[in-house]
Amino acid sequence: MIQITVDEDSCVGCGLCVKDCPMKVFELKDGRSVPLRPEDCMGCLSCHEICPAQALEHRGIYPAKRHYVDIRVCEMLNRVI
Amino acid sequence: MTASYVDELHEKFSTDISYKSEDVPLNCVPPAKEIEATLHGVMKLNGLVIRSLEEIAGRGANAVTFRAGKKFGHEVAKYFQKRDDIEDALHELSDLLMGQYSFEIWKPAGSDTFVIEEGGDKFIYLVFHDCIVRQTLRRNGQEQAGPLCQTLCGYVVGAIEEITGKRAKLEIKHTGPNACLKKLILK
Repeated sequence: MIQITVDEDSCVGCGLCVKDCPMKVFELKDGRSVPLRPEDCMGCLSCHEICPAQALEHRGIYPAKRHYVDIRVCEMLNRVI
Repeated sequence: MTASYVDELHEKFSTDISYKSEDVPLNCVPPAKEIEATLHGVMKLNGLVIRSLEEIAGRGANAVTFRAGKKFGHEVAKYFQKRDDIEDALHELSDLLMGQYSFEIWKPAGSDTFVIEEGGDKFIYLVFHDCIVRQTLRRNGQEQAGPLCQTLCGYVVGAIEEITGKRAKLEIKHTGPNACLKKLILK
């Protein structure tokens, strides 16, 4: 099962994750986002993308294959890292 | 990995075909690096075609791409075994889509069954994980759930119709960077 952690110090309580989640996994409580139904999470990671504070962490998701990163970007990164 | 699985794999790749030495290529041509560049070129081209189609045809672009996908689905799935049961058909479909798309049948934790009945509709949720359409769109910085996604919808609908012999519809419920939720409505 997917485990979701919200960094309480980082969360600004904007509620974007609450609005965006199709499975209504999150709810706002005391001005902070709380993952009330993590068992309904399908791992789309929309909440990750939309969170302005990058306060979310998901464990146990399947990471989809990503081939879209530009080769030139990868080559540049390889030179740096 | 179990030994029987390894044996099964070996059996799968052993044939009686004899090759002359000159038939067997010594190296993989073109090299993988070159294929990657080609793939990126194809992705870029696909994105541009879809963007232009949207600009010219407007909302009609979805209908065009859906139709194209559906034809492709019918075409590919006609060589597959016909199934009455939808779960068997989806299993067949996942074999068909292997390498391009991977999906799982999904249900909310509160639901007992994968086939959900609601408001007279019978449907199954599908979560698409690996998807070349999503990769193409995100590589080009384009929005999801547009005409290119309709190609995949048409593909799945065409394949399901061909395998089961029944009509189906696929709705995009949600798109995300890592997975997309789709609703397969059975008729």
